[in-house]
Amino acid sequence: MVQRILERGQIETLASRAIPRVRLPDGQVFARRAARLRQLAEGHAIGDYLRLMARVADAQQAALGAAIDVTLPTEAAIAQAAAHRMPPLAGAELGTGAWRGVLRAIADALAAERGVPAAVGALATRLRAAPDEWIVLQAAALLGGVASDSLDRAAAPFVMAALQVQWVALARTFTAERVAPLDVPGVCPLCGSLPVASIVHAQAPYQGYRYLHCALCASEWHRVRAQCSQCGNGKQIGYYTLDAADGGPTIAADAAAVRAEACDECSSYRKIVYVEHDAAVEPVADDLASLALDLLLGEQGYHRASGNPLLWQAGEE
Amino acid sequence: MADLTRRQFLKVTGATLVGSSLALMGFSPTPALAEVRQFKLARATETRNTCPYCSVACGVLMYSLGDGAKNAQPSIFHIEGDPDHPVNRGTLCPKGAALVDFIHSPNRLQHPEYRAPGSDTWQRISWDDALERIAKLMKADRDANFVEKTADGRTVNRWLTTGMLAASASSNEVGYLTHKVARSLGLLAFDNQARV
Repeated sequence: MVQRILERGQIETLASRAIPRVRLPDGQVFARRAARLRQLAEGHAIGDYLRLMARVADAQQAALGAAIDVTLPTEAAIAQAAAHRMPPLAGAELGTGAWRGVLRAIADALAAERGVPAAVGALATRLRAAPDEWIVLQAAALLGGVASDSLDRAAAPFVMAALQVQWVALARTFTAERVAPLDVPGVCPLCGSLPVASIVHAQAPYQGYRYLHCALCASEWHRVRAQCSQCGNGKQIGYYTLDAADGGPTIAADAAAVRAEACDECSSYRKIVYVEHDAAVEPVADDLASLALDLLLGEQGYHRASGNPLLWQAGEE
Repeated sequence: MADLTRRQFLKVTGATLVGSSLALMGFSPTPALAEVRQFKLARATETRNTCPYCSVACGVLMYSLGDGAKNAQPSIFHIEGDPDHPVNRGTLCPKGAALVDFIHSPNRLQHPEYRAPGSDTWQRISWDDALERIAKLMKADRDANFVEKTADGRTVNRWLTTGMLAASASSNEVGYLTHKVARSLGLLAFDNQARV
């Protein structure tokens, strides 16, 4: 919202600049998420859950830092995907990848965690003993490959976390120039997943642009602002923020770092976070921590356009 | 393909939360459900538009407060350059950056006014009166000063004593129509968005 003053000569350089279409994840995506989750957990209604998820993000960062072994699809397969305007990494290595090892590492980290409900320890034990076929079935259900009746909601955030590590590692071996555009703007051009939330960046060359943040591979792709990320409608897009009910201190609507971008055409919403108003915002963490916004929008009749990878709710499968 | 709608269009309620991974892991959703009562929703609207000042036609994003109800007058509280717009890429000139004050200015002209010859006060008139008066004056001037042929007999059909300055924030179609109307009257002194 801050208008920058341009010096002489800057207008010409701005004019020739193209909007970067894709922003691939860096090697610190899970470390940032963990730090943000811990920051938000202070005095939060679901603070204990946020801290547990921060622990999961730590384990994800450790697994990513240990350079897990991933292989990109063949050049021919990537070219074929591009020719048919399909995402190149959809379903890559689901049956064989290193993510199952990451899941066991996450389960180990959970088992070592103190001060959490007994159910978490039991879940960790169950995940460590789970047969490979069951884990692969869970992953397929999460990514939409098979019917999801068999989805285990308690285990889902951890299976998803393991898959995220593998797909972030895959995305990091890709380059933004090689990511071909898709026909549908609403899914990740790299892995075909739905975005978790939008982020408006504040750093050049991304300043002021809205990107959709992939729930699986953490890649971000550009989408025009003031437009529904679900149906593309551009009329009367509402931005909802939380206000104190009793007339207490409020944040001005144009200063809130987390808002819900709601569309009255398709009655759905996705949250949008603004780096300009809080430099530490992280789409997955801030979406999870703004549960109150979800509950109030649910009362207003709006639906979440897609879920949070770290919180699976009843009725999602 | 029952899976097409998987994870889509979920209305978040207390019930979905009670069956969520949070509750299944032994955490209580009760504090989150209770906390909600401390809050109410505020709604702002973000609308894309074109700066009305000049024919560069910069894109702007306008932020207004209000719940979008039919009878409520939305109040615009902020305007900034549209970062996605190919013309200005989020930038605005000083005039454009001050647009929000233009909207709320007490001096902003919101209806037609007329100052009679010799008078020092403006009086409000209706749109019908204004348009009729303009049409009459235009016809009188055109009838008096229209040039059909030059002195050496060449047909020119021009009307040089009146000029027209048309809107800048116009679409191609509006530019086309403005051009047709002005040119068919024989107007030569004429500027509008279709020039750029």
